[in-house]
Amino acid sequence: MTEKPGYTEAFRELQHIVAEIEEGQIDVDELSEKVKRAAELIRICKEKLHNTSEDVQQILKELEESESKSSNQT
Amino acid sequence: MPEQILDKTVFSLSEVGRSIRKTLQDRYKGSYWIRAELNKLNHYGQSGHCFPELVEKEGETVRAQMRAVLWRDDFAAINAKFLEVLKEPLNDGIKIMFLGKILFDPVYGLSLRIIDIDPSFTLGDLEKEKQKCIDTLMKEGLFEKNRKLSPPLLPQRIAVISAETSKGFADFIRILRESEPDYRFFHMLFPALLQGEQAAGSILNQLSRIKKVIHHFDLLAIIRGGGDDIGLACYNNIQLSRAVANFPIPVFTGIGHATNETVTEMVAHINAITPTKLAEVLIASFRDFDNKVRNMADHIGRLTRHQITEYDHYLLSTVNQLRSCANEKLALERSGLREPALRLKQESRFLLRENSREIKGLEGSVEQLHPDNVLKRGFSITRQNGKALKTGEKIKEGEYLETTLYDAVIRSKTITIHKTPKA
Repeated sequence: MTEKPGYTEAFRELQHIVAEIEEGQIDVDELSEKVKRAAELIRICKEKLHNTSEDVQQILKELEESESKSSNQT
Repeated sequence: MPEQILDKTVFSLSEVGRSIRKTLQDRYKGSYWIRAELNKLNHYGQSGHCFPELVEKEGETVRAQMRAVLWRDDFAAINAKFLEVLKEPLNDGIKIMFLGKILFDPVYGLSLRIIDIDPSFTLGDLEKEKQKCIDTLMKEGLFEKNRKLSPPLLPQRIAVISAETSKGFADFIRILRESEPDYRFFHMLFPALLQGEQAAGSILNQLSRIKKVIHHFDLLAIIRGGGDDIGLACYNNIQLSRAVANFPIPVFTGIGHATNETVTEMVAHINAITPTKLAEVLIASFRDFDNKVRNMADHIGRLTRHQITEYDHYLLSTVNQLRSCANEKLALERSGLREPALRLKQESRFLLRENSREIKGLEGSVEQLHPDNVLKRGFSITRQNGKALKTGEKIKEGEYLETTLYDAVIRSKTITIHKTPKA
């Protein structure tokens, strides 16, 4: 659980935690762990709304590379 | 007039030409409705005239091929009708039904003069083509393929096929920007022609480029902007429709108000119709995600508080239960102890009493057994030589005996002895 999940996984895990708590089969110690984890997941999801690491220049570079590769092959 | 040369009647080429022209004119006096494929329009911008190439094919075999002329004014009138009815200009590659006259010119040869074209015939044919395109994609199992892709949770990284100068593209970007700083989108433009004959090829080319960097994108938006809805027939092109249906990420279209939805729009994941609407759909997805996360956060908070209260209650009731349980047990134990103790007391008292009574009784009988008391009751002890006699065995006649009574001792002499046998 130390690895930082992507927002999709974070979202799914969050849904899972909610379902678990809803079922009410978590003891007190576990509950506090789950709530801590949920807070982290919520932070990941919210962060994603405001941030993206994509870069047009980087994509153009990749495109050029793949295009020159395919033109070399033909 | 033909000449006589070496006994032969010889015609000049122009005489032959004129003769053919006369024959054709006499034979084909009126004009006729003819159907054909407009293979090439060959419109000359400067003069405004067209010199179309007409063909009739059966499969790939050419069954007939003729040149035609379409004069500037006729072209303008027909083109206007086409734009009105088909939303498409007169174009290469369409099937037409036209009113034509058969012409022959000695210099230019045979040609058909196009006087009028019925746009409804072409419309019907295009509709048929479109239906064929839909049927083909259905048969190939592709028609719903893009629509059935699971939509991105956050449609954040957008590959855009549009034109830099398009009003639709500008609208799209403006709406997305307005959602900042709450939400952040990333887009990359892949410029293409968006209408007319070359649009399909141009878009197809960009689709294959985007595929190479597909992992950078959540969706593809095809955006065309501004006013008229002319030249959208390219979106019914089978290759383009197939490529869109088969595209690995969801395709959203916003290519404007077509009178009829094109096949490309039909197979797209979402047809938002306008670029503005498309941007709004994306923002709505963001808002939806945002709300879901918020709701879950609230929900977790509420559930946790509830859960903790419940634990509290549970704990409290457990303590209470424990306490009452313990008290009960104690009380029970206490009452359980009291009875045996009571019984013990009673029993021991009783026992003591019994014992003392018995002892007293014993005391009495012990006293009564004292020789004095026995003697008092009339018993006596007979001794011989100081020894108490229990039997008469050893006594002989004439011997002296000593008899002790309660209050006297008598010395006596034995006269006779009668033995009394005992069983």
